[in-house]
Formats: sequence, C-alpha cells, structure tokens
Amino acid sequence: MASLSSLLESPSEGLYSPAFEAYVDPSTPVARAILTHAHADHAVAGHGEVWATPETAAIYRRRHPGWAGACETIAYGEPRERGRTVLRLVPAGHVLGSAQVLLTGPGESLLYTGDFKRSAGRTTVPAQAPHADTLVMETTFGLPVFRFPPRDELEARIREACRDAIASGETPVLLAYSFGKAQEAAAVLADAGVPTVLHGAAWKLLPDFADAGFPLPLSRAYDTGPAAPGEALITPPSTARSPMVRSIRRKRVIYLSGWAIREASRIEFDADVLIPFSDHADFPGLRQHVAEVAPRRVVTLHGFASDFARILSAKGVPAETLAGREERPPEQA
Amino acid sequence: MTAYRELAKALDEVAASRGKLAKIERLARTLGTVEEVELPAAARLLSGSPFAEHEALVTSVGYATVLRAAAAVTGWDEDTVGACARAIGDLGEAIGLLRSPSGADGMTIAEADGFFRDLSGRRKPAEKRALLEATLRRCGALETKYLLKTLSGGLRIGADATTVEEAIAQAFGRDREAVARARRDSGDIGETAAAARADRLGEIRFRLFHPIGFMLASPIESAGDVEEELEGLAVEDKFDGIRAHLHQDGERVALFSRTLDEVTAQFPEIAAERRGAPGTFLLDGEIVAWGEDRPASFFRLQRRLGRKAPEDSLIAEIPTTFIAYDCLARDDRPLFERHWEERRAHLEDIAGSHGIRLSEVFRAESSDALKALFTDARARGNEGLVLKRRDSPYQAGKRGRGWRKWKKALATIDVVVTAVEQGHGKRAGMLSDYTFAVREDDRFVNIGKAYSGLSDEEIRSLGAKFRKTTLARFGPVRTVEPEVVLEVSFDSLQKSARHKSGFALRFPRIVRLRPDKAPADVTTLQEIRDLYARLSTL
Repeated sequence: MASLSSLLESPSEGLYSPAFEAYVDPSTPVARAILTHAHADHAVAGHGEVWATPETAAIYRRRHPGWAGACETIAYGEPRERGRTVLRLVPAGHVLGSAQVLLTGPGESLLYTGDFKRSAGRTTVPAQAPHADTLVMETTFGLPVFRFPPRDELEARIREACRDAIASGETPVLLAYSFGKAQEAAAVLADAGVPTVLHGAAWKLLPDFADAGFPLPLSRAYDTGPAAPGEALITPPSTARSPMVRSIRRKRVIYLSGWAIREASRIEFDADVLIPFSDHADFPGLRQHVAEVAPRRVVTLHGFASDFARILSAKGVPAETLAGREERPPEQA
Repeated sequence: MTAYRELAKALDEVAASRGKLAKIERLARTLGTVEEVELPAAARLLSGSPFAEHEALVTSVGYATVLRAAAAVTGWDEDTVGACARAIGDLGEAIGLLRSPSGADGMTIAEADGFFRDLSGRRKPAEKRALLEATLRRCGALETKYLLKTLSGGLRIGADATTVEEAIAQAFGRDREAVARARRDSGDIGETAAAARADRLGEIRFRLFHPIGFMLASPIESAGDVEEELEGLAVEDKFDGIRAHLHQDGERVALFSRTLDEVTAQFPEIAAERRGAPGTFLLDGEIVAWGEDRPASFFRLQRRLGRKAPEDSLIAEIPTTFIAYDCLARDDRPLFERHWEERRAHLEDIAGSHGIRLSEVFRAESSDALKALFTDARARGNEGLVLKRRDSPYQAGKRGRGWRKWKKALATIDVVVTAVEQGHGKRAGMLSDYTFAVREDDRFVNIGKAYSGLSDEEIRSLGAKFRKTTLARFGPVRTVEPEVVLEVSFDSLQKSARHKSGFALRFPRIVRLRPDKAPADVTTLQEIRDLYARLSTL
C-alpha cells in the first residue's frame, strides 16, 4: 500500500484519510466517503455516510433516490477537525458543488483537486489554489495539445452554432454530459433567448440548480415533447446514435467536450460542429494550478497522468503518477 | 502567387463542411481562384497527394523523422509529441495543435510543391529531417497540420481524388465523366485540372505505369439471380489470389495491387518472365500461387505476402504466376470504354504471341449449367465464379452490375479492425481480441468481436502494429486506426443493438488476414443489410 503522505493514503480501494477514517471518491461503497463532486465515476451509490458540499449532497441524493445513508454537509472553507488534522473543501470549478479537499496536519498539507476547472462557469465558482506541500491532481487533459480557447469565445461559438442551425431550419442537438455540461449549455443559450429541451437525466437535476441559485426557466423536459422549431435539444453524448436523436430529420449536432479538439470525434459522434467546451482544466490550466499551489511534489491521476508527471519533472517539479488508476472514457470530460 | 495557407484553410473547411456537395463546392472555389501556373500543384495537394500518380515519387519520411523534426520545432520532447499524436489520433493534427496559429511567413503553393519534391529527392533521414524542420519553422498551425497530413498520406477530410475531380468539373464548367477519364488516362489530377481550365481535356493521352482503379463485381447468392441475363454473360473461375494490374512496355514491367501499391518487387518471377517480351499493354488479372497445373490455395500464396523481396528459396518453394483476364490498354490506346468482348479479343491476341496465361471463359445456357460450372470451379480449388456482361465497359474503381461474383453459399465478409484488447489464458498479454467494423460511406461501424483465429506469430506482429496505431486507451481496450483488414466467417447474421452497425454476427471466426485489401474495400453496411434481407427470406 503506497502511502501518499500521512494525511492521505492510497490503498487499492481509493484515497483514504486515516484522521477522518474516510475514503475520498471511492469506487466501491464504504462506511464514510468524502465526495468531491456528484459525477457517477466519483460518487458511487451505497455509502454509509457522505461528506460533501450541500450542492453535491443534494445531487447525490437526487441521483440515488433509494439511498438511506447520512449526509454531513460542509460549506466551502468551513473547517472540520479530527485530532490535529483539519479538513476544508475548496471550490474546484468543475461542476455545481464540486470541491477540492485540503488537508492540513502538523507541518504538512495536502490538496486533492478531484476534477477541477480554473475558469468561471455559469453554475460554478472558479477553482481556488491554496498552497499545499503535496498536490494530488487530476490530469485528464495533461498534454500540451489540449489548449482550449477562452470561455467567452467558446460560449459565443455555442450560441452562434445554435442560431445558425435554427436560421437554416435545423434543430441544434447539443451533446453534453447530463450533470454540469448540460446545465452550463442551457444557461449559455438562455442568454441568447434560445429555449432548451433537456434529456431526462439532465432535467431531473434542475431543482438542485435552482436551489443553488441557478434557475433555468427557458428549459423544459424532453418528456413533454421533442424540440420544436427554435428550440435546442441537450442530450448526453452516449445518445448520439439513439432513436431520439436519429428521429430528428434536420439537425445540427454540436459536440461539447474537451475531446472535441480531436477531429476524430466528428465521426465518433456524427457531429457537425466541434466545440472544446470542457469542465476540466486544459493543459495550461493544469500548469497554472501547479504554479499557484506551489507544492513540493505532485501526484497525478486520471487521463494523461504519466505524461503530465514526466513533463512536470522535466521542468523541475518532482511529480509521479498514482499507479493503478483507470483512464476514463471520453464521454465524461 | 497564392499562399499555401489558402489551401490549408480550404482543406480545413472541407473537413468541417457537411455533405459531398458542400465539400465539392468549397474545393471548386479554391481551384477557381488560384493562378494558372499554380493550378496543377494546387489540385494535387487538395487531393492529398503531392505528386502525380505516374511520377511514382514518394516522400518516404518515417514517423521517427517527423517526430524529431516536430520536437525541434515545437520545443516539446519526442515522448510528449508522440503521446500527443496518440491522444489526438493524427500526427499532423496533433503537431498543428502544438504550434501557434500565426507565425507563417507566407510560403506559396509553388514552394510547398517544391518542398515535397525536394524531400523525395533526399535519401538520408538526417537530410530529410533538416528540410522538414526548416519548412515547418515557416508554417503556422494550419499549414503544419496539412503539410504533415499530406506527408503521412491521408488528409481524412471526407474528400478524395474523386471529390476533387468533381470540383474541377464544377470550377471550370466541364463534364464530370470527361474529367474522370482524363485523370484515369493521365494519372495526374494536376494535369487534368490544367486541361479542364484550358478546355483541353480531350487532348489528354493515356499513359501506362500509374495505378488505375479496379473494376469490382457485385455479389450474387445463387444461379437464379442472373437467370434472365445468362445469354449475355461470360463466365470465368474466381481465383483465390491477389488481384493485380500488369503494365508492360517492353523491358519495363510493373504490377499494381488493389490498394494501388506497386508490388512488382514482391513477385520478381512474374516480372522476369514478362520482361523483354515486346508489346505495350495493361492487363487485369490475378496473382496466384501455382501448383502442378492449376492455382494452389490462398494459404500458400499468403506466405509470399508482406515480403518486399522474397528469398530465392521461397520463390522456388511457392512460385507465383499471373493469370490475365482483361486487357485495358494496348499500344497506348485505352480500351476501358470498349465492351468486354472486344477487350477479350485483344487479350487473346496479346496472350497468343506473348505466352501469357489466360483465364478460361465459359458460357452457361441455363441455371443448371451455371451451377455445374460453379461446382467445377470449386472442385478446381477456386472460390467460385465471376460473371461478366459481354457488352460491359471496364468501370475502373467501381463496383457495378456489369460484373457479378458467386462465392460460397454464405459468403465470408471483409472487415477492418477498430479496437483490440488483450486475450486471456494462453493468450494473456497478447492483443488477440479484435473488434471489427464494416464500412458505411467514409466511416466504419462495428459489427462484431472475435477471439483471434490467427497464429500466435501473426497475433504478435499485428500486436506491434496495433500498439503503434493506437488512437486511445480505455482501460484494457485500445481503439486503433482502421487499417488491418480481416476476412471473417460466421454462422448467421442477426439484428442487434449491441453494435453501431445494428447487426451482430453469430460465432464470428477470423479466416485470414487480407493484406491485399484496403479498409475502403471492406464489406459495406448496405451489403450486410442486403445479405440479411436475403437470409431472412430463405
């Protein structure tokens, strides 16, 4: 069992805080889980007790309706102490409620980023970068080819693609992951006065977004009828070839993902327009985060972990991968 | 003079535009605006090849050379550039993403053309690298992307030389067929574009020694399918070999495979036998392994494939020969538009005086007679029959109804491998489980997965290739460039939501590798639908 530090260990089940007797984002049900955010690959069902931000806890409950465990909600910045170790949740900017985990012990500190994004979104607080001795970070886009245009330019491209499609009598079909990306896209389009029709998985989370101060009045559920002229459909990438999408005769498929920087995704998702609209940090964002956290060492996981570790090491920042972590398929980026 | 950047921009917009018509229109716009002297190079570069087919030039720049040049230009180490190429799935696209959008110094189309020619003239990798590096330094992101895509031999923008032919026709208001004919005869889309602009397409003369598309046969399932047409059909055995075109002009002999690669050096005994015989012609036929007095099985021929220059001992053990069945040109005169009957007469005339082995032609008066011929052909170890309308022209590069093929009752299908994963048990650690796809227009849709029926040696050598062509990794599964073609047999065909094709094969088995076929040649989804329709009415 490799020990990351005395603050956070890495047994095979996931990351573990001995002080809090809690796993962080474990991939199997455990007695106590600290969840950075409510995406399925970080928040599996069936934990005994969940520690998370109020937003993450609400969405976890929504996505697992039969779950009967206890929730310990922790606001951003609010300290929790166990012995001489202090836990804080820090904004991660990835999706609504997403947090980084900052652990501080005597003479030592560690920041685990979970998934993060440094630029501001419509429904997220930009990631903060408190100093830590050890930085455990995600590296989904840890190669220099992943350089995304500024957020406002990407938002303008989304609005333009949808307006163009509508003007030529086509239904814009936005392929966007159902928690986070879908609501971001709906908020961007609401700005342009474009009403949106949401796939059920995205629609059911809207009350939680409204509770958090992000109402989406121009959105409705797909259950209430397919997209009418002038409306845009927002649906997960996994439905790109579903009967729902196929049945739309005149459409413009717009793929929203960091992976959209690859032209191969045009074929993979039958997409007409590729917009690298991501909820992860791009490569310069990852580098910037390392620079601001100013750690003594970096541990990478997810995506291009070994490449990013090699690049950092070559620049003089000691870095290594956390072995044994699966790479994630592109749908969730 | 026009900047190369304009061509790169056009190619990028073609990639992003939807539908053939939009792509043709975008290409036509550029072809119509470049200057007259630049037009031949522009047309070639837009079609993805810097040289005319008849020039037989290659840039032959290895992956390692590109990687080193790219590392020097981008400032990233080779490991990182290589990882980027795998992550993006395309070397040119990846290195383009590592460059800044600006920074181009306005390299012209003529200079880009000169670069590729200079590159093909340099022999040593170090010299090639120095030239590539110096040229890349002059490029911005877009020029880098398309210069390198051209170098690697695949633009992958959903447009091919045929699309450019149509764009030429549109740009200069010429007949599409006339443009296609001019390109086929000249082996140069650049010369074709210039002739189209000057309204001189009719003056283009046929030229040998450049690859020409093959006419393909549509499958039939039983004798009954052609009952009405029997009278007009010539019947030949379908040989189980490698389809090839043989070009000869006295001393000069060249063989081109269906992938349009020159394979002369792989079959030196065929070239040696022909060389020196008088005559100028282009023949279509089949390379087969030769047994006592008839073709040997494909399995024997397979041992000769993939070797650039076979040893004498292997040639002695497995000699090959060329069986001719069509004549496409004679004495610089193209015969493509002539009927099969007339072409056959030319072929017999040439064969008689040159000692060329010919296919035997049969006639079938009835379905029963055709069935008997099929049985005979199978008894001779051949695959089945090919039926050719006696009044059909040779449609180069097309699958028409002029030619039909009749193979085993439930034919095997050709598929391309799209993903691989490690096997279990005896084959743990080897990439032995293949997911494969059929073709639908210019994309591939998965239809099944099989545990390799290939030998361990074949699996290992394919494994090395798959590691190099990996596009992305998802845990144990690697998606790979669709390049490796397999022949697959199966027990039945079912509708299924499991694969993108909407079909699944029951008990698929890999019969053999088909290095002689290109991914574009694999079975199409339409053929699968047709097969399904036929099977479900049996």
